[in-house]
Amino acid sequence: MVTIDLSKTPVRVANEMIRGYGSTRQDVEVINPDARHYIGVGLTTPITVRIRGSAGYYCGGLCDGPRFEVEKNVSWGVGDNLLCGTIDVRGNAGAIAGVGLRGGEIVIRGNMGSRAGQVMKKGTLCCGGNANFMAGYMMYGGRIIILGNSGERVGEDMMGGEIYVAGMVDSLGNDAMLIEPSSSDTDSVLQFLDRYDIPFRGTLKKIVCRGKSLRYGTAEPRLRKLPYTSFSSPGQTDYWNPKVREDIRVKAHIGRYRIRGYGASRHLPHFSDIVFRQDMSKVTPEEDMVSKVNLRTLIGDKHGGRALDLSMPVMIAPMSFGALSPQMKLALGIASRLSGISENSGEGGMLSAERAEARQMIAQCLAGRLGWNVHDMKRADGVEIYISQGAKPGLGGQLMAEKLTKEIAAVRGIPAGMDLRSPSRHPDILGGDDLIMKVEEFREATGWRVPISIKLGAGRIRDDIKIALKDGLDFVELDGMQGGTGAAGNEVLEYVGIPTLAGLQEALDGLAEIQAEGQLPIVIMGGIKDGLDAAKAIALGATAVAFGTSMLIAAGCITCMQCSVGSCVIGAATQDKEHTARFDVKKRAMQVHRFLEAVRWQLAFIAHAHGYTDIRQLSRKDLVALTPEAAAFTRLPYEPGYRRSSSRAL
Amino acid sequence: MCSIAGILFKNGSRSSLPMTTGEALTEMMDACVHRGPDSAGWALYRDPHPGRLRLRFLVPQGTDHGEVVDRIKERLELEGAELMHEERLGCTYGVVVGFEGDLQRFSYAMEKAGMLLSAGSSLDIIKDVGRPLELCNTYRIAGFNGTHGIGHTRLATESGVHPETAHPFWATGFADVATVHNGQITNYWIMRRRLERHGMEFRTENDTELIAVYLAYRMSKGASLKEALRTSLEDLDGTFSYLVATADSIGYAKDKLAAKPMVKYEDDALIAIASEEVALNRLFPGKSLDTTEPPPHTFGLWSRSLSE
Repeated sequence: MVTIDLSKTPVRVANEMIRGYGSTRQDVEVINPDARHYIGVGLTTPITVRIRGSAGYYCGGLCDGPRFEVEKNVSWGVGDNLLCGTIDVRGNAGAIAGVGLRGGEIVIRGNMGSRAGQVMKKGTLCCGGNANFMAGYMMYGGRIIILGNSGERVGEDMMGGEIYVAGMVDSLGNDAMLIEPSSSDTDSVLQFLDRYDIPFRGTLKKIVCRGKSLRYGTAEPRLRKLPYTSFSSPGQTDYWNPKVREDIRVKAHIGRYRIRGYGASRHLPHFSDIVFRQDMSKVTPEEDMVSKVNLRTLIGDKHGGRALDLSMPVMIAPMSFGALSPQMKLALGIASRLSGISENSGEGGMLSAERAEARQMIAQCLAGRLGWNVHDMKRADGVEIYISQGAKPGLGGQLMAEKLTKEIAAVRGIPAGMDLRSPSRHPDILGGDDLIMKVEEFREATGWRVPISIKLGAGRIRDDIKIALKDGLDFVELDGMQGGTGAAGNEVLEYVGIPTLAGLQEALDGLAEIQAEGQLPIVIMGGIKDGLDAAKAIALGATAVAFGTSMLIAAGCITCMQCSVGSCVIGAATQDKEHTARFDVKKRAMQVHRFLEAVRWQLAFIAHAHGYTDIRQLSRKDLVALTPEAAAFTRLPYEPGYRRSSSRAL
Repeated sequence: MCSIAGILFKNGSRSSLPMTTGEALTEMMDACVHRGPDSAGWALYRDPHPGRLRLRFLVPQGTDHGEVVDRIKERLELEGAELMHEERLGCTYGVVVGFEGDLQRFSYAMEKAGMLLSAGSSLDIIKDVGRPLELCNTYRIAGFNGTHGIGHTRLATESGVHPETAHPFWATGFADVATVHNGQITNYWIMRRRLERHGMEFRTENDTELIAVYLAYRMSKGASLKEALRTSLEDLDGTFSYLVATADSIGYAKDKLAAKPMVKYEDDALIAIASEEVALNRLFPGKSLDTTEPPPHTFGLWSRSLSE
């Protein structure tokens, strides 16, 4: 056994050493831990780590295989997302012990703090003392054993798994119920306690999900003849138009909001309301123009990680495997490689075939930690913390039961067949201070090698961007109201959020307010439809843009806006094999790739037409606003005159 | 978006800590500086002189120090306060004056001359933009060895990064009451208007100042500090873990959601509270501590002479 003294060795170095000893299967003793954070984070070898004292936040977090023995206490988030292995804590644990647990065993011999086992999926979390409120909050599976009292609202909104309580059940959470444990349940718990030499002679109460909140009630009737866009289309001027009437009738039937895909479909001020001053009508594109304009963009090396190397300032926006079919994800992976840009996993785990195809892949971490694991982090080229998205800021993802197939449920580590409403808030990011600690944990887990970015839906962005800057993120993916989604309430999509154009300007203003212009790259997304929009966004101050919806349309999406239903006829937004069988991956990937090359051409052309050799030479000075709204959003000069000559205004 | 720290030595004991009270607070704050690197501040409780009052003013950058000091001195004379001692420290100006009268009226009057950070028989608030270890030198914090104090490091999220928006906050007009806070009071404006109707004044839009004024107001109406802490759990909405200090005690309160961490350590000689255990371990390196995390929706109070 080797000894590491944390009073002499910084945790960052110590973790490298522990991983090194792990690879040669040597056990490690950590002395003078003094409640320092992130001890052993990201360890994926089956060694024993003995911590002679107390450990801080995320002790043994994001691990697979090791055994941790902690002599005293641990702070928040012990065993975060543990896949396999053991953590044995002699003292007490802070809040969210075993958060997002995916396997293995965590034993807290003392008391544990609130929200223990939040969003856990597998494995066992055992507490010898009392638990605090909301143990098992939103758990999807696995087992919690509490030998003392349960704390208030135990099993709040649990969707699976089981909780055993030996002491008093202070109160049950929403959708949780008490049942008698079977004798095999009890035997299994007793065997577990026996293995850890925990004496116990009481009786157990069992708490499981009651199952009243897992599915929406009456199913929404599927209507194709009146697409959502009809509402705002010209010609529908009468107030009680057919769309409005249909909406009322459907709601009268189902008694709740309606769910659909895509983003805001009503008109909002957007990049088409600002134009370049430059008259480009006389410019002749040169044959090798693309090679003469520098479009290459490096992003994400602000804190020493390896930057994403984009052949142009473009990314593919995060869209999940789940919302999209594996075939569609694969096509995006291939197209991103062919065009030399990055692809993003979105919520719910990384598809291995896509990882292999995409040259640069960002792993996105969401609040439900669905499919999240250390191995995907390590094989990613970037890690992204999702806070919210433009289409439904402040709300979690939704995946209807039709799309939550056995395969998808297995990847996500959750029960199949429910209307999945992902949590909207991270268990361990409740404020800017917690966010710093999450970022640090991710840096430790990935050995400080990859960029860590944050996805923000435009809301209170002027403040949020300052927090992102201070919390050590490498770049921000900022998403406006026009951004798409696989499923959300129609009213939310249409009326909640900040338009992309306004969001970008607010973010830039926020940085300027603290004299940090240009210090935090912004990747803007949300209704970016072509290279022209992209060039305008870059001229305004974005570092890059991301395409989501336009990628799907390029791949053949018919824009029926029924992504949530799960019967996408082209096989892009479905898990139904009958539909996905029609999806020709190679052909669709080439369509997406060709669209991306058209974007590249447009970017190069616009820079070239201005006489620039680098896309970053575009600036605000090159733009004017055509509408008072767009001028108010961006503070660009309002020059409606350019509209009259719109044949030349781009 | 911050970290908090507090330490109190019981029964006037100096314990076996090999550091001064100022050093101990600073160490605790430094251990949690990752939670808030923008600014730092201390509320130190110095030895009181009977019949005398400590005042500390902020002299903002870009203003003429001498001019501000002259204005303050003029005003002191006008209010009948006799200047006994003065010091210029970093971006602050501190005085000890002979004064007996209504502190609230006096402090509101003094604010016409300069930005008043704290007043009381022993309270001295020092705060500035920067990290605790750097500021500790500038403001000679290590030299402080009193019975108790509280400290804070701040990550500014809504208001700007200035010395005046740093914590701790003094309960304007009430001697020796100071608070530090991690979290957010969401019914800020409702509570503020309620207090303003009772004649309370606010100097910032920071919710931590509200906590200080709320507690001080409740005490001025006859409530004990313990009682004020208890009602704050009901009256204040949001997520918070805060510390309050008075001339002879330290208290805490933690909301029902417990989203903001707080850990305490207590032995025969001292009580220490901080956002994270790593801060408490700075006082006792290499030791495993018997710490406890105060449960949600609870408060606690310790005083120099008796503990709870």
